[in-house]
This record gives sequence, structure tokens and C-alpha cells, in this order.
Amino acid sequence: MVTAFIALGLAWQALSPEAIQHAQAGIAAQKQGDLKTAIVEFHKVTELAPSLPAAFMNLGAVYVQAHQYEQAVAPLEKALELKPDLIGAEQLLGYALLAVGNASAAIPHLSKAGDKGALGIAQVKTGQLVDAIANLNAALAQHPGDPNLLYYLGRASGLLSKEAMDTLEANYPDAARAHASLGENYAALRQVAEAEKEYREALRIDPEARGVHLALGEMYAKIPDWPRAEQEFRAETKLQPEDAESAYWLGTTLLEEGKLKEARTQLEHADRLRPNMPQTLDALGRAASLDGDSTAAEQFFKKLLSIESTGPLAVNAHFGLASIYRKEGKSTEAARELEAYKAARKP
Amino acid sequence: MFACLLLGSAAFFEVSTPAGIGFVQRNSPTRRKYLIETMTGGVALLDYNNDGLLDVFLVNGGALTDPMPQPANFHRGEPKYWNRLYRQNRDHTFTDVTEAAGLAHAGDGNYGMGVAAADYDNDGYTDLYVTNYGRNVLYHNNGNGTFTDVTERAGVAGGGWSASAGFFDYDKDGKLDLFVTRYLDWDFARSKVCARETYCLPGEFPAATNLLYRNRGDGTFEDVSTRAGLSKLKGHGLGVAFADYDDDSWPDVFVANDGMEQFLLHNNGDGTFSERGLEAGVALSDNGKPFAGMGVDFRDYDNDGRPDIVVTNLARQIYAVYHNDANGSFSYRSLQTGLGVLSAASSGWGMRLVDFNNDGWKDLFIAQSHVMDNVEAIDPSLHYLEPPMFALNQAGRFERADPGTTQPMAGRGAAFGDIDNDGWPDVIVSVLGGRPLLFRNRGGNAHWLTISLRGTRSNRDGFGARVRVNDQWQEVTSAGSYLSASDKRVHFGLGAAQTANVEIRWPSGTHQSLPNVRADQFLSVTEPEQR
Repeated sequence: MVTAFIALGLAWQALSPEAIQHAQAGIAAQKQGDLKTAIVEFHKVTELAPSLPAAFMNLGAVYVQAHQYEQAVAPLEKALELKPDLIGAEQLLGYALLAVGNASAAIPHLSKAGDKGALGIAQVKTGQLVDAIANLNAALAQHPGDPNLLYYLGRASGLLSKEAMDTLEANYPDAARAHASLGENYAALRQVAEAEKEYREALRIDPEARGVHLALGEMYAKIPDWPRAEQEFRAETKLQPEDAESAYWLGTTLLEEGKLKEARTQLEHADRLRPNMPQTLDALGRAASLDGDSTAAEQFFKKLLSIESTGPLAVNAHFGLASIYRKEGKSTEAARELEAYKAARKP
Repeated sequence: MFACLLLGSAAFFEVSTPAGIGFVQRNSPTRRKYLIETMTGGVALLDYNNDGLLDVFLVNGGALTDPMPQPANFHRGEPKYWNRLYRQNRDHTFTDVTEAAGLAHAGDGNYGMGVAAADYDNDGYTDLYVTNYGRNVLYHNNGNGTFTDVTERAGVAGGGWSASAGFFDYDKDGKLDLFVTRYLDWDFARSKVCARETYCLPGEFPAATNLLYRNRGDGTFEDVSTRAGLSKLKGHGLGVAFADYDDDSWPDVFVANDGMEQFLLHNNGDGTFSERGLEAGVALSDNGKPFAGMGVDFRDYDNDGRPDIVVTNLARQIYAVYHNDANGSFSYRSLQTGLGVLSAASSGWGMRLVDFNNDGWKDLFIAQSHVMDNVEAIDPSLHYLEPPMFALNQAGRFERADPGTTQPMAGRGAAFGDIDNDGWPDVIVSVLGGRPLLFRNRGGNAHWLTISLRGTRSNRDGFGARVRVNDQWQEVTSAGSYLSASDKRVHFGLGAAQTANVEIRWPSGTHQSLPNVRADQFLSVTEPEQR
């Protein structure tokens, strides 16, 4: 992240020959990774040229590079005092302050530097979760899949969710939603008995609370306890007959129970409510294949692959197609899909 | 002491620690989480003295310390770490005959795993092959109540980490050959504890090859693994079972692999095998997921005359059922058979398809327990200790039934056979850290037929013979399950039928028909000398 070891050249004409000598020695040491010597040499440059902002910025940059963040702060602040529009110094000072745990102080500098990723991280640490999520999402758009950004985005989202739930539970402890929220927390920790108690209390208070049966069913599905999951998903689909998610979950549960015909009916219903969801197509393909309807299964898997050509569902689809073709005696097609399956499975 | 754990009026089995069997499976778990300590547990049911009663052989683990000294010493010379042979008495109690039989010391460098049982030298007495982490041991039955370690002469010591083994006649020369699965290329120096202080997945260690020994017929075996095409196949083999799945008369091999594709080794009839798991549709689950294959049976569950495959695995993977579709191809049927729901949160090891209620459909009994003894700390919704699963076969669909106990245990090996010769098959289950449990079948009113084969041109045990009784088929074998060997007699439930038509296709190719055989008897059949 430290990329701003620059600028000395711009001001060399203003330096004494002795300062230039130390600057060159500092740059050479830095290039060789000898940061200790670089710090000594750049320090001498700041003594010989105390009004040159770039000298202070470079000293600060080497301190950052050497992970001596506390020492980096003063020269970087001095650089900005001498030249307030030094964006590189703003960014480095923001990093240094963030690294020493002073996220609040880092925010204005990272904001001026336009570094949305680091800014988002600082905002997570200061509890500005809504802004943090916006900035981290913007940074992820520029750096897709960056693990640090994804981690802090997940953390910000989780904290924001917890904040809302805490408010709900504190202000309305007897509300069905408060118990459902507690149930979700227990379910996340796989504390099934405690989660069940909270969910049941939520349903006692409000038997028609949307989503509670669904959450209970999902918890049972994770154990897995399919018969109990089926009961809950059925109850949810009664409350929300036009909810695609409930229909999908009921369909997949029936599939796991080997009730193939009924599973297909539910999954087709889910597909009508929310068409072309890859998960639904995957389950439909699997159900049709196990039910012996290879024509339908082939169509579902192919449709899935037209929407999602990589990832775990694509892996399933290629394997499903290979199985269909194998049973039909289409050895060339089966081999082709098996190869595609193997290729898609590779990390 | 006959200690009933739980008996209900509806219970199918009477569960007890067998009278006279004091064996404790000493797997010696440590904080180091050495993988071998959670994988042992072989048990065999065999009639070693030909008195008509099944005897019990139990494989012990050994001493483990934290850390282990090198070279490893498992202290197998200490009596508490011996394997044990128990002779069944007429009153169905057992007597420890280990020392008298010459089976006391299993070798200090050997941590015990499993057992195979068969009459490999066709002398009429069942021999024992014990697999180990270390060196495997072949014990020849001398016919006088004693055994002799003939491993060196026979050339079957193997090495590394062996798991399940089984005898079968792959080249149909009338002499039983030996297949040995090997689990991992593992040793104490490379052992490690994985995330959250538990056992590592097998993929953390290099895979290993399986071994095939051809019986020369002179008391020695030849390692033909390379020639047979097996040395190029590395896996994590735990279970093995044999059957002729494509009806070409050559016995094939299914190897249950842990955490990877399962192997279906097609016998090419020329001394070689081809791995056809993927192309036959038995390598993975229906959506292409590998699973932790552990125990296996290769037997016809839906009475269509073709051997199917059932594989046990870990919780959330569901036990795999592969239906044999007759064209060298299988269909995944775990969900349709109901086994998916029954096994969704369970982990299974030793198992077999056996008609426990004699209604003409083979039921399922599975010894269960998670592999991790601290799984609850990692996932509170799973359990290390589990009761066994018993499922009755209702015309091809399995429905949960009462195994006779709700007591959770660390079940591993399971051997199957009619211990009290009442026509109703029983089960013995090995339990890590504890005594084995006997599941004695209480019986009922249906009819049955149990057949003992004596091969003449074929191997003497008749292994590989296809036996048809009315509309049911079975191939004769003592292999399958997990690390275990079962009664070599072949049992059929006849339902209401009081007679049976018996047809036998011997490995030699001889066909034999026995019409109108009376039900409810132990029938001995000798292979005709001539076709």
C-alpha cells in the first residue's frame, strides 16, 4: 500500500549537496530493504532541509514501511503542515493513525486521500457502520474479491444487524420479533434447544409472524432433521403461499426425504414465483433426475449452466448431466460433462 | 454376566455385553489426536473349531502415549492389549481361549485394526488375517484349537496402515486370494492436530495403495497388486466388499474410500482390474460430492437379483445406496430408499444387509458414532456417541426400527451371524473404549433357511457362489462391513414359505439345483465334483 516514496526529485534543486547526498543514500538503502539506514538518512535530510515537505513525507513513508507507525505520524503531520495538498501524505498518515488504533483521527485523512477501502475499515472500527458498508462496497467494486475488504464488509454488516437486533430486544423484549432474533443468534451457534425455545415463544406471541417457521425449518435442515424441517416449511408456506423462498425450502426438504413428486411440485412453484434462481434449478434438476425424468433434468441443468457457468452449482449441473447421459448410454456426452465437472471442481 | 441395557416389549434385539467376553477395546485416545486411535475396532464371527457354534475374535488397538516414542511400541505383549478369541459354549456363554489358541501377543509394533476370516488353504478350518497399523498377521488354523503365525512364509505382512481386508477368489482357481485396503500414508512424525483440537481429515495426509495377494495354493501368496493394476490407484481405503456386479462371473471389488471417490474395481477376468467408479455411477453422491466412505456391503437390497452397494459415511453426508441397474451402471438411491432421512445426522461404520425379521427382505444394521470424540465442542448439534441404526426393509424402502437400545456408544466394527443358531441373525458390535455388545435377535414366526457351502472344485468356503433361494439372491462372503468378518453361512428369510427352491452357481461354473428344500434348517451343500 505504501507507494509514495517519490517527490524528492521535484525539489532536488532546492537542496544542498550534503542533503542530496543523504537523500540518495536513503533511497539506495530503502531499495535494498535496509530501512534502518534509510530512516537515518532521511532524518538527516529533514534536518538539512526543514522546510521541504517531501523530505518529511519520505521519512514518514519509510517509517510506515518499517511498521513503525507511531514514529511515522509526526513527520507526516509536518509534511502536511508545510504542504496541505500532499495527498500521498494524507493517505500515509491515515494508514499510520489507523495502525496505531486511532481510527477516528485517520478518517479525515483517508477521506481526503479518497482511499475508500481504508476509510471503510476505519469507519467499521469507529462504529460508522452504514458509511463503512457504502465505502467498502465501493472499494470492492474496484478490487473484487479482496479478502480484507470482504472481511470488514462482513463484519460491518454483522455488527449493523446486531445493533438493530439489540435495539429491538432492548426496546421490545416481549415482541415476537425479539424472540425470533434471539432464536437466530442461538441457531447460528447451533444451540438448537435454546433456539427452539425462542422461536416457539415468538410463535406463541404471534402465530402468524412471517419468517419464524422458515427460520426454524432452516435450523432443522442444517442439523439435518428433515421431517421437522418439513413441518416448519409447510407452516411457512401456509402463511406465505406466494413466497418463493419458503416454497424452495419445502421443495428441497421433500427432495431430501425422497418424496420426489411432491418435491418437484414445490420447486416448480418456487421457480414460477422467482424464475431462474440457480439454486432452484439445481434442485429441480436433481429431483427430476432421481425421479427418472431425464428430459426435464437435462433441461434444468442446461438452463442453470446458461445462467451460472462456474461455481458449485455449475459443478453439480455438469455432474448431473454426466449421470443422465451415462444412463442413456450417450458415452461421448457423458465423458464431456464428466470432464467439465472435473475442470469446474478445480480450485 | 448378562447385562441387559434396555429391553422393551417391542424391541427387536436383546442387547447385552456377552457373557464371558471381558474384552475392552483399548484404542488409547490421546490429546495428540493420532488418527489410528479413532479408527480401530475389528470383530469376527467364525466357527474356528467346527463345533457348529460361532466364536468371536476381537482386534485390540494398543498403547498410545503423548508423545509416542520412536520406534512406536504399542505394548501388545501386555494382556490388556491382546486381541482376543472367545469360544462359544453350548449354553451360549463364551470362554476366553486366546492364550491356548496362540493368539496372545499381536506384536509390539502393531496397532490393531481389522480382521478377515476364511479357510484360505482349503483344509476345512477357518483362518484369521489381522490387519494393523504396522505389520499384518496371518494366523493359520491348525485344526486342533490352535493357530500359527505364518505371515512370513505366506508373504502377506503388507505394511503401513492397513484397514479392512477380505478373502475372495478373484482368479477362480479354487484358492482364496486376499485383498487388503490401506488407509493413509501416515506416521507419528507426521501426525498433527487439526483445527479446533481434533482429528485431521484424511486429505491432510498422502493417500495409499491397496494390496492384492494371489494364493499360490502352497501356503504362500504372491503380491500381484502391480500386475493387477492396483498400484497406480491411490486412495483412502477403509472398507471392502466383493460381488459380481455385472454378472460376468468374475468377482469385482468395491473399496470404500474416506473423503474422495469410491473405487469400483471391475475384474477383467485376466488377472487385472479396472477402476470404474465414476463411469458406473458409484464414486460420488448424486450431485457429485465425495464422502467419507467407511463401511460397505455389496448385496441385493431390492431382490432384483443384482448386487447393490451401501456405504456408510459421516453425519450430513447420508449413507450412500447405489442401485444396480443391470448394465454395469448404478443409480444413487439414498433418498428414495429412505436411508437419506434416517442417516442425515449420523455417522456409520460396520454394517450389513441381513434379513433380520425373515420376511424375505434384507434389513440394515449399522454401528454408529462420529469420528471425532470432541465433535460436540465443534458442532453441538452433532454427537460422538450414537446408538446403532436398525432399519427394516419394506420392499426396498428402509424404515427405522428399534435396535434394542437407545444407549449411545462409539460403535466401530460389526459382525453378523446366527450366534445362537435359532434361525434369526444376530450382531456383535465393537465399541471404542468399551466392551463389545451383542444384539441377540429375539426372533419371530417367519421361516428361514441358512446354507453352508462346501466347495470342491471351487474354494472350500464357497466364497463367490451365487445362491438363489426362491426370489432372493446372495453371494457368499464373510467380507464387507468395517474391519470385520461375518458368519460365512448364507441366511435367507422365507416369510410364510415352508419350502424353498435353492439354486447355486459355484465359482467353478457349476450350477446346482435343490428343489423343495424344507424351511427352518441349517442346510449343508457340497459342490458336485463334476458339472
